[in-house]
Amino acid sequence: MITVTPVLALIIFVAGAIAGSLGALLGLGGGIFLVPFLNLGLSFPITVAAAISLTTVIATSSSVSAGRAGKQLINMRLGMLLEVATAAGSLLGGVTAQLLAQTTLQKLFGVTSAIVAVIMLSRLQRRNVILDPSVDPGILGGRFHEDESGGTVTYRVKRLPVALVASFIAGNVSSLLGIGGGFIKVPVLNAWCGVPMRAAAATSAFMIGVTATAGAVIYYGRGQLVPALAAAGVLGVQLGSWAGLRFGQRASAKWLKLMMAIVLFVIAVMMLVRGSRS
Amino acid sequence: MSIGAVLRAGVIASSICLASGLVLTFAGGADAAARILLQVGVLVLLGTPVARVVVSIVEYAQERDWTFTLLTVVVLVELLAGAVAALMFNRRL
Repeated sequence: MITVTPVLALIIFVAGAIAGSLGALLGLGGGIFLVPFLNLGLSFPITVAAAISLTTVIATSSSVSAGRAGKQLINMRLGMLLEVATAAGSLLGGVTAQLLAQTTLQKLFGVTSAIVAVIMLSRLQRRNVILDPSVDPGILGGRFHEDESGGTVTYRVKRLPVALVASFIAGNVSSLLGIGGGFIKVPVLNAWCGVPMRAAAATSAFMIGVTATAGAVIYYGRGQLVPALAAAGVLGVQLGSWAGLRFGQRASAKWLKLMMAIVLFVIAVMMLVRGSRS
Repeated sequence: MSIGAVLRAGVIASSICLASGLVLTFAGGADAAARILLQVGVLVLLGTPVARVVVSIVEYAQERDWTFTLLTVVVLVELLAGAVAALMFNRRL
């Protein structure tokens, strides 16, 4: 098993801080950067990397949403409804991760990242924002104040079945690979379901705590979670996401999407190369 | 207690446990205390989203929004099923 040294803890703390700040900036949760680093960079088994990452995902989700709860950016109802699907997917993913080979998981990570990056780029110009504040958002829709434009953004949720299927897949991939799953949910909610980028990111960040917990419990029960390393990761990610969030509020939605797509491509290539080498 | 308060309390409590556990681990001489603090920190962290879901159930029930009460109960059951799955996995392997 992995020997926990102060240097290793420090490396994971710093990596967590960087991953956390990028994650907060993109509404991803940080896991998507931390897992490749721990798996490819530090050669941890992908299950051990996933277990550490899932705990940081829970911490990020909880702290980010604690500050935002009560504000209208998080769509609580939509989040709760989609959590039924993400938690089910997550349970399945946590069990499946125990049965699959590491190279299979790496290839899966690569392929999924690449697909979503393509979706992000093809939808770069869409905004999906109904600017008329008198629009009825319905039971699942939402309304929030946008600081950039100074206006009120109102939206209805379209194609709910698509959102549910995407959430199930996101939950599944989340536990399987130790990431938040926001990188699937956010583009789908934004591109197909009429949810503005900001609200999609905030709602996803709110949901991933519950999603990650359903899977993390399985890794924990299997003894794949190293508490000291999880602690280093969690504390680093907390620091990073706090910093990233301050900066992220000033970044534009289009810039966020573009950066998200580039990062996904890089991760896809790295994971596919490693997964094919075996 | 609001959802925001539950999340904040969980994050602060677990961060304090994890930070002090990590410091004690490398300070040496207090291995048992360090291990307990790290375990408690991890469990509080895992328990925070569960507590958030429980609070949501109560809130929806108070609003008499039975559809969302039921949906949130389903989420809670799924989380508990994860714990059961973990136990079953350990027994078989």
